[in-house]
Amino acid sequence: MHEYEIKLLNGLKEKKGQSVSQLERSTGLSLDSILWAAENLSKSGAVVVERSAARSVSVTKEGEGYLKQFPEEEVVRLLEKSGGKSKVEALGNQIGILWAKKNGWITIEKGIAALTERGKQAANGEQYELREIFNSIYREQPKMSERAASMKGVVETLAKRNLITVDEKNVISSISITKEGLDALSGARVEKGVDALTRETIKSGVWEKQGFRPYNINAPGETVYPARLHPFREFSNFLRQKWLEMGFIEVSGPIVETAFWNFDALFSPQDHPTREMQDTFFLSNPESLTIEDLETLQKVRKMHIKGWKEQWNEEIASEAVLRTHTTSVSARYMRKLATTLNANYPLKLFSIGPVFRNENLDYKHLAELHQLDGIIVGDNLTLSNLIDTLKKFFSKLGMDDIKIHPQYFPFTEPSLEGLYYDEEHGDYIELFGGGIIRKEITKAMGTDKTVLAWGIGVDRFLLNKNILGVDSLPAVFKNNIGWLRSRRNLKV
Amino acid sequence: MPVVAFNVKDFEDRGYPVKRLQELLPSLGMEAEFSEGGEIKIETMPNRPDLLDFIGIVRALDHFTGKRQPKENFYKIDKEPVLTIDVDPSVKKIRPYIAGIVAENVDFSGNLLKYAINFTNKFTETYGRKRRKLALGIHNLDMIKGNITYAAAEDGMMTPLDAKADMSFSEILKKSEKGIEYGGMYSSQKKPKLPFIRDGERVLAVIPIIQCEQTRAKEDTKNIFIDITGTSEVAVENAANMIAAALIYGGATVYPVTVNYGKSAVQTPEFREKQMKMSLRRAELTLGVALGRHNIVGLANKMGHTAAKYGNSILFFIPPYRLDVISERDLIEDVAIAFGYDNITPLPVTGVADGLAQDTAEQENRLATNMVGLGYTEAINSILTNETANFENMQRKGKEGEYVQIADAKTEQITMVRTDIVPCLMQNLSISTNEKMPQRLFEIGRVFSLNGNTIKESSKLAFVAEHSKANFAEIRSAVEAALKSSDVEGYRIEQSSDPSFIEGRCAKVVSGGTQIGIFGEIHPKVLLAFGLEEPVVAAELTIIKEIKYEV
Repeated sequence: MHEYEIKLLNGLKEKKGQSVSQLERSTGLSLDSILWAAENLSKSGAVVVERSAARSVSVTKEGEGYLKQFPEEEVVRLLEKSGGKSKVEALGNQIGILWAKKNGWITIEKGIAALTERGKQAANGEQYELREIFNSIYREQPKMSERAASMKGVVETLAKRNLITVDEKNVISSISITKEGLDALSGARVEKGVDALTRETIKSGVWEKQGFRPYNINAPGETVYPARLHPFREFSNFLRQKWLEMGFIEVSGPIVETAFWNFDALFSPQDHPTREMQDTFFLSNPESLTIEDLETLQKVRKMHIKGWKEQWNEEIASEAVLRTHTTSVSARYMRKLATTLNANYPLKLFSIGPVFRNENLDYKHLAELHQLDGIIVGDNLTLSNLIDTLKKFFSKLGMDDIKIHPQYFPFTEPSLEGLYYDEEHGDYIELFGGGIIRKEITKAMGTDKTVLAWGIGVDRFLLNKNILGVDSLPAVFKNNIGWLRSRRNLKV
Repeated sequence: MPVVAFNVKDFEDRGYPVKRLQELLPSLGMEAEFSEGGEIKIETMPNRPDLLDFIGIVRALDHFTGKRQPKENFYKIDKEPVLTIDVDPSVKKIRPYIAGIVAENVDFSGNLLKYAINFTNKFTETYGRKRRKLALGIHNLDMIKGNITYAAAEDGMMTPLDAKADMSFSEILKKSEKGIEYGGMYSSQKKPKLPFIRDGERVLAVIPIIQCEQTRAKEDTKNIFIDITGTSEVAVENAANMIAAALIYGGATVYPVTVNYGKSAVQTPEFREKQMKMSLRRAELTLGVALGRHNIVGLANKMGHTAAKYGNSILFFIPPYRLDVISERDLIEDVAIAFGYDNITPLPVTGVADGLAQDTAEQENRLATNMVGLGYTEAINSILTNETANFENMQRKGKEGEYVQIADAKTEQITMVRTDIVPCLMQNLSISTNEKMPQRLFEIGRVFSLNGNTIKESSKLAFVAEHSKANFAEIRSAVEAALKSSDVEGYRIEQSSDPSFIEGRCAKVVSGGTQIGIFGEIHPKVLLAFGLEEPVVAAELTIIKEIKYEV
């Protein structure tokens, strides 16, 4: 038996059913030690622990202003000063009047308040029991003062007046020793043995003679959390790994872009609705950026004038935007490859990164999202190659039954989209969009190769597949440390 | 993408029950959403305005299922013009082009009028760029007296739809819902002139805002006049042809209208024969399907084209409603849709390629792992922020011209791109005050600064620790551990000063003569701004001073 357990049992021998505070005094043990020892002893049946719903109280901010005087006391004092009678309005203090009347300290007739006999006593300093009890609660909080506990209704009244708050808790009300406890005590001696290991005890070999004091392995420990990576990094790395396995080279490009690479190079007409403020973040400083590749600029201009039969404006193309898709990176790489000598085709590239949508933010929408884009550049590449590549990727994620449908994107033709049947929602969900980059675009980028391209909305994927058990994106990027530390592992 | 609503029953009446629609529409690139009460919402591809219309969708389904084969010379206008539109020079600088269509024996019964109006709204909103580029109105032909004039004036009178009496143009602009919505496009003119059309008796429409009540088309209207106006001649012509083709498919008789521009006159609509060749070899090389074994003419028919074999090519006759077909690729795409995307056998890309991860990504991963080892949990915040969060709460002042500002975000919370990461982490701590201490967070991310017109993107590592014993010594140890684990050598730590930190408990990291980081104990003013009640220590280190992209 542990020293504390023996002390507790000795303390309990004297008197049956003692409270913890009594035991604190009689045994000299701390509260924590008593609770720990009682917990152990009750498991072996040496003590019986009785619990009851106990209340802890605390005085509210408002209550603190009531310590010296309650409003009803103020009212009767004021009345006393004005000769025992006064117009009700002159007293102000609605709450005080209400309680003074309730206490029978005043009467009110035709708007005139008059002091009663009891009221006079109250005004002349007779103790106001409610306040006395309130003060005793204040002194002894959070423990309920014995006086308050014995006065039924008073605590409720004070709580109702919002002067105190009461918390119900399950606490130990008394501890009693059992016959087993008494027996154990009579035969018990302090269990010797090595407690915590120290350099000295290890060297001295004292443990060879004394052995070790066994610990209660059931005693609950403190909750600790591992530091962790953000789930999005884990998910992003997981996706990256799959493309790397498939022989793709990882690339990246600017996050703040020119409209030129974000829209124009991808054949998006300059008067297209998506280029308006409502979907795209334009910058006010700097408003525009330089388009450095003048050769491509001229080719893109030609492509637009020929294709859309509209004016094409370099100023509009120079506007600075936060990229709306990572397809801008694909466009830049199409151009880069066109100027790279001895490239080893087919070349397979992917990029993953933030993209931006000027949206109203709510519990489902964020302005910063993430996209994964890929391209394959080479000769004799076909739509069936594209379908094969994407089906392979998703089959690595355990999604084998992908439906492919026609779709429209301004930069690809033919275009397609991939859908997956989500059993949980009983509906098809969109996984990716893609296609063969338009000839007009590859020509403007200066290449005669075929380019297969696709984009995957990463966030939507993360939510839809229930990978994190969270159905709102803002929850993932809110970075509440409690969630970050205790979230579940990715289910991929 | 545009969405239009219909009643499922109308499709059922034409032989397309829900089950068929669920299977057919996606195969044609349309998405359907069914709701209770028999409504179906169809999302169409933006390059196919012909599918915004009920007749257009039915026609696509009829051809795709083979219920109705496309016929040669089906779309033709062989009647004489029955109406003339005189174009006044006053419209030349505002909205120069107009086309007219007259149709007899139109069916607007049941929901068909509603569908026609919905089409008008959607079409002019999307393809017509909010009616700026293109607008149209449908009138009851029987109420039109004499020929039509298209002109512009500062004011005039008309009884707009749903009104009981005449209103002046300016009143219509100011008071009517449509006037407020669309009138803005003229406000830039000094003395705004509004385009309108009128017949012998009254103004028929103020363009592109609203038409008059008297010529309103109703469910029992049989004969109609449609006006199409806009800023692009091609767009106006195309729209007229597309709409005329839908009317013809719906069983109406279409008459042309003469548009008299003064010096020249044209007839609208005018179907020009549109032929295009598709090379079989190029189609096979694009799709990766041995099309030669299939009936390609049949596939063309499924998409509404008539076609014939022509040597090693297929000659397509493209119907006038297909505004999107401009090159061979469009035909190849049509053949693929007819063939069925799900019927295409996936074929692997040949050739060996080695995967390669990007250095910066791997570097960030290693650093992140080290930070976790130091007991810091990772946060990922958006780079979008505002001046209060990025500067003011940190007791710092932002200098305009040194950071990237965002124009007109839909939310007030976004006005700029972040220059530092610690403010984001402080925000994360402030929503985590109920969580167990100690709290340690880090983030590796991008920040942006501005120098003249040049934007600099940098990669930074930031970390914060909050608990009752957090102090300078702790953050200094963590900073040195982070620097060493990212192979930064030969750095010095020097006394520094920053309004975010307590004076005398703030240090900077200097390497190669430049500052690469700052750390210390966060000032209580900052803590209070974030509603934090425990001490916080923080560090922000530059990992890559300027990200240079290879492209």
